Amino acid sequence: MNEKNIKVLIVDDFATMRKVVRNLLKQVGYEDIVEAEDGVMALKALKSQKIDVIVSDWNMPNMTGLELLKAVRADEELSKTPFLMVTAEALQDNVVAAVKAGVNNYIVKPFTAEVLNEKIKKIMENINK
Amino acid sequence: MIMDYENLIKLLNTLAQEYLFMDSNDMDIPTAGKFLNQLEQIMDEAKKLKVNPVKSCASSLSQILEKTVLDAIDDKDAAANVFESGIHLMQEIADSFHNTGKYEGSIQEFLKQTSVVAGVASESGTVDNQSDQTKEDTQDIKPQKVESIQIQDESLTRDFIAEGLEYIEEIEINILNLENEPENKDYINAIFRPFHSIKGVASFLNLEKIRALAHNLESLLDKTRNGEISVSPILIDVVLDGADALKTLIGQLRDVLEGKPIADADLDIPALTARIHKIEQGFDTDAVGKKIGEILVDDGVISKEKLEETLKTNAASPDKKIGQTLIEEGVVKPKQVSQALRKQVDQVTDLTTIRVDTVKLDDLIDMVGELVITQSMISQDLKNQVNADKRLTRDISQFFRITSALQRVSTSLRMIPIKQTFQRMSRLVRDLAKNADKMVSVELVGEDTEIDRNMVDEIYNPLVHMIRNSVDHGLETPEERIKAGKSEKGMITLKAYHRGGNIVIEIADDGKGLDKQKILSKAVKSGLVQSDENLSDQEIYKMIFMPGLSTAAKVTDVSGRGVGMDVVKRAVEKLRGKIEIESVVGEGTTFITRFPLTLAIIDGMIVKVGSESYILPTTSIRQALRPPRESYTNVVGKGEMINAMGQLMPLIRMYDLFDIEPEHKEPWEAIVVVVDSESGSRCLMVDKIIGKAEVVVKSLGEGLKNIKGLAGGAILGNGRIGLIIDTEGLFELAEES
Repeated sequence: MNEKNIKVLIVDDFATMRKVVRNLLKQVGYEDIVEAEDGVMALKALKSQKIDVIVSDWNMPNMTGLELLKAVRADEELSKTPFLMVTAEALQDNVVAAVKAGVNNYIVKPFTAEVLNEKIKKIMENINK
Repeated sequence: MIMDYENLIKLLNTLAQEYLFMDSNDMDIPTAGKFLNQLEQIMDEAKKLKVNPVKSCASSLSQILEKTVLDAIDDKDAAANVFESGIHLMQEIADSFHNTGKYEGSIQEFLKQTSVVAGVASESGTVDNQSDQTKEDTQDIKPQKVESIQIQDESLTRDFIAEGLEYIEEIEINILNLENEPENKDYINAIFRPFHSIKGVASFLNLEKIRALAHNLESLLDKTRNGEISVSPILIDVVLDGADALKTLIGQLRDVLEGKPIADADLDIPALTARIHKIEQGFDTDAVGKKIGEILVDDGVISKEKLEETLKTNAASPDKKIGQTLIEEGVVKPKQVSQALRKQVDQVTDLTTIRVDTVKLDDLIDMVGELVITQSMISQDLKNQVNADKRLTRDISQFFRITSALQRVSTSLRMIPIKQTFQRMSRLVRDLAKNADKMVSVELVGEDTEIDRNMVDEIYNPLVHMIRNSVDHGLETPEERIKAGKSEKGMITLKAYHRGGNIVIEIADDGKGLDKQKILSKAVKSGLVQSDENLSDQEIYKMIFMPGLSTAAKVTDVSGRGVGMDVVKRAVEKLRGKIEIESVVGEGTTFITRFPLTLAIIDGMIVKVGSESYILPTTSIRQALRPPRESYTNVVGKGEMINAMGQLMPLIRMYDLFDIEPEHKEPWEAIVVVVDSESGSRCLMVDKIIGKAEVVVKSLGEGLKNIKGLAGGAILGNGRIGLIIDTEGLFELAEES
């Protein structure tokens, strides 16, 4: 699957952070990017368009990344949507909770465009198997 | 009891099968997640059936998986082997229990293997970067030069500056809230999150100082959130200082962007970091009697290392004070030392604060009030004395000065800043906004304005009603705001200040403003006014205070039922306050309320009826006049009326009510005072007006407490007693008779 055809949804309450991720994605060839500022908006976006992969922050007001993940997995239509969790530290408890909730992968801040690309690619490969 | 192992065996079989069909050595995260959940089920089932060996095995297999997920396993092949043998072992145990009810073998060997594979040194906590973190903490101690700021991506950095500063503001508001409600985890979260976000972006932009500081503050708050450390004033201080420091750092970043020289800031991050660490480790930094040097370190003026170094050099010349040496070395500014000295003194004054029963305080203020009245009596007498002794006059004027100073001090004892009330309200705004699906930020102005402690609770409810009104009806929804060309986030401003012996509290929103037409048509419909009446804007706005008038299209939890604003007005007036409205369509509405600073003193007009003096609260007086003969009418069924200010108003003869022999029996010979109240205006007929005065309200004592029409008594300047009129009660009394 080509980067160009992968539609990415970035979820983060911090606008600058969304821009950071967007810029990194662009660097490695992603073009189709949408943003949401929290879990609630993310769910709205997911309902209205076909998203190929969600890149969501863990720590957000209203609805945390973990809650968003659980909501996505619980939704019949969306449950299969690949989910990449962004965390600040690889805290074991957090990561394990996300993994149990069905996260496809996680990535620790700060990361490079290459690592991000690699993680997304790996997720896409695995689900297409 | 017969145990049913079927389910456990089934669970184990599923796990075994899925593991078998998995691509070898490719344990991706979703698969690991699936296994982790299965293992959890197995553990639960094993626990239920008391099959402990299976539980232990499953738990240690989970551990291996968790490490795998965290990429913390060196020997992946060994892990895969152990995992497989673990599954078989569990099946074997379960079968054995199924057949014989017990398992004779040992799982010790297996558990040993798993702990080797998992490297069970660290059970929990950060697996990644753990060594890095300790390293970077020690690096923090070394002061970094400001010049080293390097801008990586200009546009991103600009965004970061703007958004970061916004976040810090949010932190400040929330930390003040936290101070009031230290138990509220929401506030800790609301502070934690922005630091976390700032840290995240700073790490991408390579802003090491900002990242490190935000990280330290974040981990401090994390410990607070987990209950490891408690919310103390020291913690609040350090977080506020941390927020300030971050603000400064971000400001420096902006300077660099704009090509300006970096503003020289008194910023000692290492000292601040040291303070954070100290609190994190649970040290009580609030020890009394701290030395100047320590205070300077705590304040983040100098670092601990610097202090120790200076202390060493200072030891050579024992006469010298440490502050002096530090100034001479140019490490600190004289101002900073003097601030520290003041703090040192403050520590002592803190100790001398005592709690006083408010009843005692009220008594004191009461007595001082009487002293002031006695003083004015003496002053009156003195004026009448033609040949007053010069020395006595001088001494007495000195005594007057002291009395008024005493009155000032004693009233100030009961004054507290309105801050707490405001903060409670900003919390309320947030909750209300959430319910109404609106976005609102709150601005507080003049929180330090002081008000009588006894007033604080009284004004709270009316203010809450007004705020509810502003959020529910004043502010538009985000969609409407965007349509109107405004920012989607509304703003509620709470402002307090002193004006003319009153405290003024303004509640302003930047919403849609009052809809005059709508209010008017509502008022016409409910028969409050005639449609052709020519009304000023103010008069129309005031109609929202009438009972039964609500322009709210939608009834919410709290407002829009036609009760509300009329209740507000009544409550405000009961406190002898006043309320005004300013409104501009499309720009917002402001409620301006004025309250007396205290209920202990009343601003009144002294009137005479016969030989008796009465005091009318000035706030309720509209006008005083001698009516012409022809303005008096006696309407059948309604009684005596006076046509004043173009309106027919009932006449109340005070001498009749209180059974006094008056000077004048006809209204056109006497004076009528037009008095407002909730139920409309009335004319009070009195003999004459003596003048305005501030009087101290005194209770009439238990026996005379609930006399209708009287709110209390006061000692007047001539030493006589005046009775304070309760207008509402007086009107009722007149109606009854």
